[in-house]
Amino acid sequence: MTTEIWWTVLGLGAASYAIRLGGFFLALRLPQSGAWARGLDALPGCLIMALVALMMIKGGVIEWVAGLIALLVAAKTRNLPISMLAGVSVVAGLRLFV
Amino acid sequence: MQAPSTTRSEILLGARDMLPMALAAATYGVAFGLLASQSGFSFLQSLSMSAMVFGGSAQLVALDQLTAGAGVAAAIVAGAALNMRILLITASMRSALVQRPWWQIATGVYLATDASVALMQTAKNRGALASYWYLLGGGALLLLVWVASTSIGAVLSQGIPDPARFGLDFAIVAVFIALLPGLWRGRSDLFPWLVAAGTVALFVVLFPSLAGWGLLLGAISGAVVAGLSHDN
Repeated sequence: MTTEIWWTVLGLGAASYAIRLGGFFLALRLPQSGAWARGLDALPGCLIMALVALMMIKGGVIEWVAGLIALLVAAKTRNLPISMLAGVSVVAGLRLFV
Repeated sequence: MQAPSTTRSEILLGARDMLPMALAAATYGVAFGLLASQSGFSFLQSLSMSAMVFGGSAQLVALDQLTAGAGVAAAIVAGAALNMRILLITASMRSALVQRPWWQIATGVYLATDASVALMQTAKNRGALASYWYLLGGGALLLLVWVASTSIGAVLSQGIPDPARFGLDFAIVAVFIALLPGLWRGRSDLFPWLVAAGTVALFVVLFPSLAGWGLLLGAISGAVVAGLSHDN
């Protein structure tokens, strides 16, 4: 098992680094204007949206309620720590009582 | 050539802006360290994995595959699939990295995580593009906290109260949700975002074990839709 673990650590470490480097070199080759640039500009938003969608699918009603509240607080305050605190408190509170 | 004082203040500012994400990552790191040592990882192995892979979900999935007896190759492929989205992040870090010496590029991409998107967004809200040193300061702090929290989890390995009881497992989800209003650029984002979310949802329903590929496909589909639309 311990050899297996080391190979996994090294293999996944190397793969992860190759992925990180690959993204930068990929972006170097993409055009700076037009459709490619529009797509690249939209990428961070789409990625975070995809992550949130995945997390919400995995969650239940408590997570949906807390997620909605965190979203409203973030839209209102634009403050990351406060929004995080709101979401975490709602989850903790609801898990306590529901 | 930047004055050293500017470099230093950018690094510090990046580290400061990373704090909320670092806090969220710390609970995740402790959880990973705990699970890893319970699954037979030595202290050094847990530490090395956090330092080299630097991606919580990828590490957890690889760990899960290994303990399920799926083998080294399956564990690497599953973990790499989840980290594949970082390709999109280093791609969007292009302007901060380009024209830097090779060793700075090598370091900069190593420190790229989902939280880098948050940093770029924070800088943008302030009316500036995220600089190289700003991203480096934030990334370095996150790596430090990530490795340290993994070690804590690996050492304690027992007797830690369940983080879910305090809602701490939701901290990372809340961070991503809180990023959305800042990332929203207007109505033209609506359709790409719906496509991104819808693609992930559909993919995960069809292939529940391939979430990493679903993420990648969802984000790319959304970006393609945005790229092809003309109402710029």
